[in-house]
Amino acid sequence: MRNSGAVLILSFIAKLISQAAGVSAPGKPRLTSCRSPEKETFTCWWEPGDDGGLPTTYGLYYHLENSETIYECPDYRTAGDNSCFFNKNDTSLWVNYNITVVATNALGRDISDPVEVDVAYIVQPNTPENVTAVVVDEDQGPFVRVSWEKPRTADTRSGWITLQYQLRVKQKKDKEWEEYDAGMQKYYNVFSLHPDKEFMVQVRCKPDHGFWSEWTQTTYVKMPDYIPRERSLWIMITIFSVFIVLILTWTLNVKRNSVKLCLLPPVPGPKIKGFDKQLLKSGKSEEVFNSLVIQGFPPTIDYDDLLVEYLEVYDNEEQELVLDSKDLSEDCMKSKSPSDCDSGRGSCDSRTLLLEKCMVGREGSRSDQHQYSQHGETSWASTESSECQGLEPGSPEFSDGRVKTWPVVFSSPQPHHHYQVEAVKPVYHSVPEILNHSSPHAMPANYQNLQHQDIPQQEGRFGKPACRHSQSYTHGLDTPAPGVSPSRSLEYVEVQRINPENMLLLRPLSDQNREPEGSDYAGEDYSKVKEVTSNNILLLQRDTSYLCADGYSQAGQCTTQQPPHPCKPVIYQSHSGMPQEGMRVMGNGYVDTTVLMPSY
Amino acid sequence: LSLWAVAVLLVALLCLDPHSRVSSAPICTHGPSGCHVPSLADLFDRVIQHSARMHSLSNDLHSEFEQYFLPSKNSIGKIYRKCHTSSILTPNGKENAQKLAREELTEVILKLLMAWRDPLFQLHQSMAHQQDFNSFSSNKALEMGDMAHELRKGVEKVAEKMRVLGMLGNSVTGLSAAETMLPISDSGEAMSNYELLYCFRRDSNKVQNYLKILKCRIVPEHDC
Repeated sequence: MRNSGAVLILSFIAKLISQAAGVSAPGKPRLTSCRSPEKETFTCWWEPGDDGGLPTTYGLYYHLENSETIYECPDYRTAGDNSCFFNKNDTSLWVNYNITVVATNALGRDISDPVEVDVAYIVQPNTPENVTAVVVDEDQGPFVRVSWEKPRTADTRSGWITLQYQLRVKQKKDKEWEEYDAGMQKYYNVFSLHPDKEFMVQVRCKPDHGFWSEWTQTTYVKMPDYIPRERSLWIMITIFSVFIVLILTWTLNVKRNSVKLCLLPPVPGPKIKGFDKQLLKSGKSEEVFNSLVIQGFPPTIDYDDLLVEYLEVYDNEEQELVLDSKDLSEDCMKSKSPSDCDSGRGSCDSRTLLLEKCMVGREGSRSDQHQYSQHGETSWASTESSECQGLEPGSPEFSDGRVKTWPVVFSSPQPHHHYQVEAVKPVYHSVPEILNHSSPHAMPANYQNLQHQDIPQQEGRFGKPACRHSQSYTHGLDTPAPGVSPSRSLEYVEVQRINPENMLLLRPLSDQNREPEGSDYAGEDYSKVKEVTSNNILLLQRDTSYLCADGYSQAGQCTTQQPPHPCKPVIYQSHSGMPQEGMRVMGNGYVDTTVLMPSY
Repeated sequence: LSLWAVAVLLVALLCLDPHSRVSSAPICTHGPSGCHVPSLADLFDRVIQHSARMHSLSNDLHSEFEQYFLPSKNSIGKIYRKCHTSSILTPNGKENAQKLAREELTEVILKLLMAWRDPLFQLHQSMAHQQDFNSFSSNKALEMGDMAHELRKGVEKVAEKMRVLGMLGNSVTGLSAAETMLPISDSGEAMSNYELLYCFRRDSNKVQNYLKILKCRIVPEHDC
């Protein structure tokens, strides 16, 4: 009792002294890990605690499960400091080891926490050995074949341990490794490595139940410089495209007709019904054109409501006022009086009449240009007496006041009037009004805007098919021209010239500039303006004397079709002012009235 | 009449054509007995794969147990009862295992597998009844038990094959009379589920290892 108390006091004092001196018992050591490289031996490492300032010794002690016998570590050196190596004889598998480490120094000792270890589950093999990476060149391109050997210590041959391998590859500059699992084989082919680059390769292994080994030392391999030929892909692409092309071609071939139709729609060729090309080739143009003529055309239409109401004034008091052009057709038959030349009425056999009249008035005229056309039905007025003369085609000067008009051509939407070839009965119309703003001055500077009035009704005046006359209407048919005074006075003007602005310079007949060319008729050296179309065509009426058939409808006239002979170029038509209706000036100055035919 | 004649002709042709006659084809078309017989190496591969699968299952179950039911690892308070198979002498090292003859090794394997037939069944039963386990774990236990059974059958076939081939002497004692070992510890208490799993994990590892040694000793061509 006294001894133990003395011992206690002494130890307490010793502690105090030792603490004052800075030394103490060792701290607790700690077992860090135990590992077996081949499942036959194993090693344990510990971490020493505080040594307390005094030299401390460590001892590892263990006992097996269900046994109380404590053994001490057989080998402290083989594995280095603070380690304990268990050799084959001391290693038992599938048995728990209870291991502790004891630290001892002069002042005391300490024991670590115990650790239970079953060697079968702490296997961590050594690294694989002899890692080689070789570039293998093949058709598809070079690749790297990495091969290695098992760690020397692992006994896989007897089946005691089974290892599986893993390798990783990267370029020097890469951050991430590319890992590949090689299974239990000892080689691996790495494809798709970039050419002309250096790669680093490492390998490690693992038993089926255990820990991965450390990575081997880096093995370097350099890929050669090659051009990757992905031939198979190109071959496939080529074959595929050829196949597609073949299919397309075959499809197009099968459907070539519809493709042609789609791409090149057929241009409708001109066709004239009844037109026989062979006849044309044979040269008999007359027969050819004959076939184009439609019998029974123009259709008989009651033109009553189409009649244009207009007044016709003759300065010959023998003339009668024709108010209704219904009589015109009859007038074709009658009125052979010379005054008919003045009126708008034509005589149905005006051809001879015209000729006659032309002859009459020919004396003194410069009639080189006369030609009597056979376009009988064009009712146009030509100037008289000197009627066979007229304007030079294209000449802006009127040497005389003779102006030829030619009949209007249909331009209304009325039924299309065909010209018969045979009918020779021109009907003349007179312009109901001529606006005459002329001053009594002698200056030929009378500009007049001649407008036509009431023309639309004229159409209705065509009564008899025998007498066809053309009539033209402008678009402005219904609108009276601005500034036209609705006076019904008729005055005759003669066109002096046409100035470049497409205006007819008219002067009243009382002008002393009037050509002293005699005329048989009072109205011979003037012409009535029938109408003005589109502001730059002046259609003048002319009496029946002439049947200069040119320039107007070539489609068919009252007379037979003959090449038009310009009798008198009547009006100069500015070419630039082509009427929209389609009056076309022929080279000789006559207006081609064919184009005024409404288009169907 | 013509239609009838055509039909009769067709039928006759079909009947007369020897190739068109239907006959039962043999199921096995290779080998002397008509069926493909697996070689010893194939058998070994199969059983080794089987044992690997079984061991991984036991490993998983044990880890689950340790994780959820025994948070304190390596605690001093852990009490390890002896596994009921500890009475079976098993080599605990490579040399020891290699010193054993093939027949003895085979016998050890079979003994081990036999000893676990009933305990595994009990394990599954107790796991299924306890509500701590989810169905997944109890299914694993069931699968594990089935696998042990299959594996035993497979090893028996391997032994049979070896005997046929003359590799195995007749010293392999019949295991049919092997005592059924009950997993009763020394203290007489039944082992807990955790202990059973712990013991089975170890024993399945042993079985796998022994089979591999056996294979590389008998058919060393592949993977050895």
